[in-house]
Amino acid sequence: MRPELEKVLTEIEKVIVGKREVIAKILTALLADGHVLLDDVPGVGKTTLAVAISRTVDLRYKRVQFTPDVLPSDLVGFSMYDKQSGGFSYHPGALNDANLLLGDEINRASSKTQSALLEAMEERQVTVDGVTYPLQKPFLVIATQNSVGAAGTQFLPYAQVDRFLVRLSLGYPDYAAQMEMLKNRQGVNPMDQAQCVLTRDALLAMQEQVRRVISKDAILDYITRLTLASREHAAVEVGISPRGALFLDRMAKAHAWMEGRDYVTGSDVQAVFGDVCGHRVLLKENADQSVGDVLNDLLKTVENPDRHSRGLLKR
Amino acid sequence: MKKRAFFWAVGLALACLLYFFENNTGTRIVLACSLLLPFLLRRNEPQKQHQSRVQTVKAFADREADDPGDVRAYLPGDPVNRIHWKLSAKRDELLVREQARDKIVERTEKREVVPAEQPGGKSAKKRVLLLGFSVVLLSLLLLFAIPSAHQGLQALLNRLFDASEAVNAYAYERFAVPADQPAALAVILLLILGFSLLGVTLMTGSRLLGLILMAGAVLFQAYFGLSFPAWVNVPLLVFFTLWSLRPLKKRIILPIFAALAVISLAVLLLYPGVDAATEAASETVRDRLSQMAQSVTGAAQELPSGENETRRVHTQSLTAGDQEARTSREYRLVTVEEQQISMPHWIDYLRIILLLLLAVALVILPFLPFILLNQRRKKALDARKAFQSENVNEAVFAMFQHIAAWLEATGHGGENVPYAAWNADLSPDYAQRFAACERLFEEAAYSTHAMNEEQRKQVLELLNETEQALRRQADWKQRLRLKYKECLWV
Repeated sequence: MRPELEKVLTEIEKVIVGKREVIAKILTALLADGHVLLDDVPGVGKTTLAVAISRTVDLRYKRVQFTPDVLPSDLVGFSMYDKQSGGFSYHPGALNDANLLLGDEINRASSKTQSALLEAMEERQVTVDGVTYPLQKPFLVIATQNSVGAAGTQFLPYAQVDRFLVRLSLGYPDYAAQMEMLKNRQGVNPMDQAQCVLTRDALLAMQEQVRRVISKDAILDYITRLTLASREHAAVEVGISPRGALFLDRMAKAHAWMEGRDYVTGSDVQAVFGDVCGHRVLLKENADQSVGDVLNDLLKTVENPDRHSRGLLKR
Repeated sequence: MKKRAFFWAVGLALACLLYFFENNTGTRIVLACSLLLPFLLRRNEPQKQHQSRVQTVKAFADREADDPGDVRAYLPGDPVNRIHWKLSAKRDELLVREQARDKIVERTEKREVVPAEQPGGKSAKKRVLLLGFSVVLLSLLLLFAIPSAHQGLQALLNRLFDASEAVNAYAYERFAVPADQPAALAVILLLILGFSLLGVTLMTGSRLLGLILMAGAVLFQAYFGLSFPAWVNVPLLVFFTLWSLRPLKKRIILPIFAALAVISLAVLLLYPGVDAATEAASETVRDRLSQMAQSVTGAAQELPSGENETRRVHTQSLTAGDQEARTSREYRLVTVEEQQISMPHWIDYLRIILLLLLAVALVILPFLPFILLNQRRKKALDARKAFQSENVNEAVFAMFQHIAAWLEATGHGGENVPYAAWNADLSPDYAQRFAACERLFEEAAYSTHAMNEEQRKQVLELLNETEQALRRQADWKQRLRLKYKECLWV
């Protein structure tokens, strides 16, 4: 892994113990300039993680706790009549000057609020009353969904889940990690120990480098074959979308860059495949496989580019 | 879609052309077939299913619809949510709604969800069907267009008649049939059974092969006038129907089907003389078929006019169990021999050509393994040329692929995982060197970096080491495979 990212990881690990892999994945998504959906039970440290990232990477952090009453104007801002000036003045919302937005319990928001957020995520700008305001760069949304106590909530529809680059899950810490966490919090708040080790400009430069990572035709071919196979799989109702294929490429590039390469290999694609595509596959009602099984199936059956190119060579 | 239309158009055009040149029953049938073709094909198209989901949505009635008459001036203590902001802004004083009338309106929305079309299976089936129909059409056209083929078909049909006659004679000798049979009911029962099974299979979605085989079994019996006894026929139909049923729906269909089968079986077994009745029925069908076939091939005019008569006389006499049968049979054989004598000489040419081909094949055959082996060897040598390529990337790529092929051929890896995940442990520190070279391979395959000679040397060393180690480890079977099948070892 790149030393500069290694530093970021160590800083975050001071706060969140034993979740190195997930943190690395979130950083990868950050480098790929995409958004993260955390599907988790309450209280495993989603918020702490977001705050820790914003501290160590010098990002402006905003948090929106979604409820059914949160309105789109709370996110994108609104125009209000100003009596003194006699005109309308724009009051920015939560999205406008955030680099890192934690959308907590997004499934509790009303669908119009969800759409407003997801539109802003996609376009990276908000438009209010005909005026367009660009969002900050970088702009990363970490949205969380609680699967427990979900009564009376609106889960994100398939079309909108598709816009998140990856869906991850923190999960509970194991015994050792939880013991260490409890010990850490005895005297001081570990959050204060986390230092900023990466500037915003450096992060933007990294994102630029990630964009320049090369995916050769063999890789694009692999991604295409994977996505096509997912659409034809027997247990799958809706397969991976073209957007999913694009995101897979982007995430694989970021992964390759984190590994210190400037080219994508088949292993990169395989490494990020589960996280990028897990939420893009809808199973048939009578399917007896889980999504994970289907994705593993695909990885097993679709010929990886290393082998595929050898087949070409033999012919 | 377009392709199908094209095939159809071509077939139709050919049929029209044929009809123009030769106006007889055969060409008419071909024309009719080609006209029917698209309908035959369309039946197999998947039906689009529209699933509709119903969602109930609660929505608040539009507040702005409230008329402003319900508004009064704001008094301290009024709840803030009662303030009518819009009117307040307009009149520049705070106004409050008299009553909040929040109607809850229930609205029902219907959404149509159209499932994505599934590519693959169905279209492939369609293509096979299309191809089959095209081939059948084309061969029919050829049969009718070429005079010699025409005659050949005629001769073939004659042979078939002969065979059926022979089988028939055997059958009649073997199974003695009582003369008077209450026939029609049993035949009708059998037909009802057959058609209901066919209907069930068609309605539940069927496998084509089972249906074809079933139809084949029925036609075979009808044509040769050979009806198997009921205890053969019923299980046969049961078997083919079961085969053609879609596995998923088997559970629902099976009870109905079993009941049907049991009833039919009981009737068939209890009713005497069923076999003979079916036989008589198939006899007539066979006669009709033979007549049709002859009219199609135009044989009716060329064959001796007594041919059909002979056949009928022959069967009747057999049913009667008369001695005449022998003589009429001999007479029939004579006419066939005459037919063969008058056949054209192209069959002789065909024989000569076949013999020549056979001779050539026999000459080449002993050398075939060597030719094939030499080709493989050449390919392997060509592959090795890439190791010395000017372009180091190419060389590294080829060499590592070669290493992987060696490992796979000897069973050290080979599942569908990237080479990075292979753990080949030929010698203690082999795995590390393999990993290092694997990184070089990735660089060669997936990056645009230019590589240097040292890297080529590194991979080449691994290549030599791998070959030597694997050659030493391999047993004789693997050696043979490596040398002659895979040709990695030149």
